[in-house]
Amino acid sequence: MDDIDRRTLLKLTGGVGLAGLAGCVSTTDEDDGGGNDGGDGTDGSDGGDGGDGGDGTDGGDDTPTETPGGGDGGSGPYEIGMVDSLTGSLSAFGERNQRGVELALETVNDVGVEGRDLDIVVEDSESESQGGVSAAQKLVNQDGVPFLIGSVGSGVSLAIYESVVQETDVVQLSQNSTGLGLTDFPGLLRMSPTGRTQSVALSNIIADDGYDTVAVTYVNNNYGQSLADAFVEAWDGDVAYNQPHDQDQQSYSGVVSEMNSSEADAWLFVTYQAEFATIVNEIFSSGYEAQLYGADSVSGSDVLENTPEGSMDGMKIVVPSAPVEEDNYQQFATRFEDAFDESPTSWSAYAYDCVITAALSIQAAEEFTGAALQETVRDVTRPEGEQVDSYEAAHEILADGGGVDDVDYQGVSGPIDFDENGDPVGFLQIQTVEDHEYVGTGFIES
Amino acid sequence: MVLLDHIASGLIFSSIIVLGSIGLSLVYSIADFANFAHGDTMTVGAYTSFVAFGAVGGLGGAVLGLPLGFFVALLAGIVAAAVVAVVTERIVYDGLDVDSIGMLITSIGIAFVYRAVVQMWFGADPVRYDIQALRPIEWLLPYGVRVTEHDVAIVVSAAVLVTGLHVLLQYSDLGRKMRAMADNPELARVSGIRTDRIKLWTWVIGAGLAGSGGVFLGLFNLLTPRMGFDLLLLIFAAVILGGIGSVYGAMAGALLIGMIHELTPLLSQLGRVLPFVPESFGLPIGNQYGAAIAFVIMVVVLLFRPQGIAGEAV
Repeated sequence: MDDIDRRTLLKLTGGVGLAGLAGCVSTTDEDDGGGNDGGDGTDGSDGGDGGDGGDGTDGGDDTPTETPGGGDGGSGPYEIGMVDSLTGSLSAFGERNQRGVELALETVNDVGVEGRDLDIVVEDSESESQGGVSAAQKLVNQDGVPFLIGSVGSGVSLAIYESVVQETDVVQLSQNSTGLGLTDFPGLLRMSPTGRTQSVALSNIIADDGYDTVAVTYVNNNYGQSLADAFVEAWDGDVAYNQPHDQDQQSYSGVVSEMNSSEADAWLFVTYQAEFATIVNEIFSSGYEAQLYGADSVSGSDVLENTPEGSMDGMKIVVPSAPVEEDNYQQFATRFEDAFDESPTSWSAYAYDCVITAALSIQAAEEFTGAALQETVRDVTRPEGEQVDSYEAAHEILADGGGVDDVDYQGVSGPIDFDENGDPVGFLQIQTVEDHEYVGTGFIES
Repeated sequence: MVLLDHIASGLIFSSIIVLGSIGLSLVYSIADFANFAHGDTMTVGAYTSFVAFGAVGGLGGAVLGLPLGFFVALLAGIVAAAVVAVVTERIVYDGLDVDSIGMLITSIGIAFVYRAVVQMWFGADPVRYDIQALRPIEWLLPYGVRVTEHDVAIVVSAAVLVTGLHVLLQYSDLGRKMRAMADNPELARVSGIRTDRIKLWTWVIGAGLAGSGGVFLGLFNLLTPRMGFDLLLLIFAAVILGGIGSVYGAMAGALLIGMIHELTPLLSQLGRVLPFVPESFGLPIGNQYGAAIAFVIMVVVLLFRPQGIAGEAV
């Protein structure tokens, strides 16, 4: 009896181990698909979707597609979906998103969408592809939402697009994904600018600081790999170390000591807050001295609160930034501070703009279906049309009979202006850590 | 030089795995199932001591860079982990009349419950003990060893706890009864040992050690709701490698697994360690494969010694 138990246990535990390994393998595949050009070959069938994008721009021709029984004849709220990282390693982003969404819903429902309310069903992705896909499946297939905001992690957004959204008319608008691979999928829109701008900016900053050798480590997924690849491509000097690390490890001392052995003086990190906080602690307790650089995802209060005072001073980070000088952003910031007692981050602003864009595209569309929203979602934020910086003003133009070409919504996160790849125009801020606080030290536009 | 540093971090990491694996092995040998909630028991211990440390504060004084209040918090973490495990045992495991696979799946469910409660309470964001972070010990730096006094405290505390357990098992009445029960529960019962009570003590000791492991894991790294669960696979590897059910095997297995995990970076810089090979020589295996290599070695050992390092012959 005892023997059987032991054997079965071995099998089961082995199974769990295998499952873990299998997870690693599939992640790597996904990275290749998103990060390398090689992936494009297999995605050739997406050409059709590119065509859809074209249709979007032709929306101005106004060939009304009268599909009877759109199912939106009721007076209840318009229901759209959102997949967010409420738990898992990106939950800090998720929390900020939800705050942005809350404010945006307030803004939208003060005015209404064609006299109705907007309602958002939020599902948790657990910051993982699998969780994101099942959340999106529930929203698209069960709730039947025609507009899906999602998600945070680029790998998660891409997984949702490829397994749930791609074959349908549903509009997917990612709130926070900055992975480079998403550019190759014109049908997948996003509110945050591509990470390529970050990689190029970082390589310029590091070179300007006088370093010619750099050690890079990145989180082992689509986001990390694509940013690191783009950095290496843009970087003219030597790359002494360039290795991934896995998420959720209990120790990163191996990574840190290898970076030290590489003898590079500039260390670049493309990872997430929890992982980076651990890494900074290990750099500090190992007594290593290096000039640190990071992509946007390594900055945040989780890192500041969980690392020793002074352990990161001088570190430089590039962060996609809202146009903080603009009036509409400042109003947004004031409202945010009143509601949540802290300043907003651009991640909240992106989520806010996702909701506003969704509401405007619903207002402008002929009917509440994915196909109709595909026609309007891009154009409500693009030039041609009157530049307006609030939902109320944009809503007024549309309510007065204006079309998508009469309105150019300027978001609190930037001008948006989706390009043919579904990417927005972006601003980046350079932040430097001084006295264990992030201090803005300049802007870069892309 | 590089080697010494990696061995030092291996020793620290192993200490934490040792504390986790002993409890897992003890519970297996006496309660007869693989407790997947063990990793989250560590998390419970860590978060309890986080709260306790916040409440009692430093209390002045310091041993190895750790304020005395931390040791009070450590005790609180151990007690809380033991209490939670015993209550779970009494309410759930004890009443379940299922085979060991049913128990195993139940324990996975329990693990989710523990983690969910921790996350509801503290949120998903990492937290850290409010203890001054330390720089590496100066006089060890010339040897290339970069460890802090906290790291030393982890290793020493683990050694003390493990020695204490050894004394308990070998020389106390309770220890003799526990060993008797692990060997043959039926015989232990007919010879007059109150097996229920021994089982309870086993849970207390196993979960208490796990709680302490969690506290040290939090000191070593950060506290997150997933911290214990993320370590659980390595702990299982250690226990199975050591010979499941054997406490001393679990210690040996944990030492080995922790070392392998932390020595993986050496593979890519073998030239710096080995004599007679070029400086730049190295295997193209990055440190992100540490866990995979640990499991490969576990499998290889089991192929030649199916009962594990210290297990009895099957």
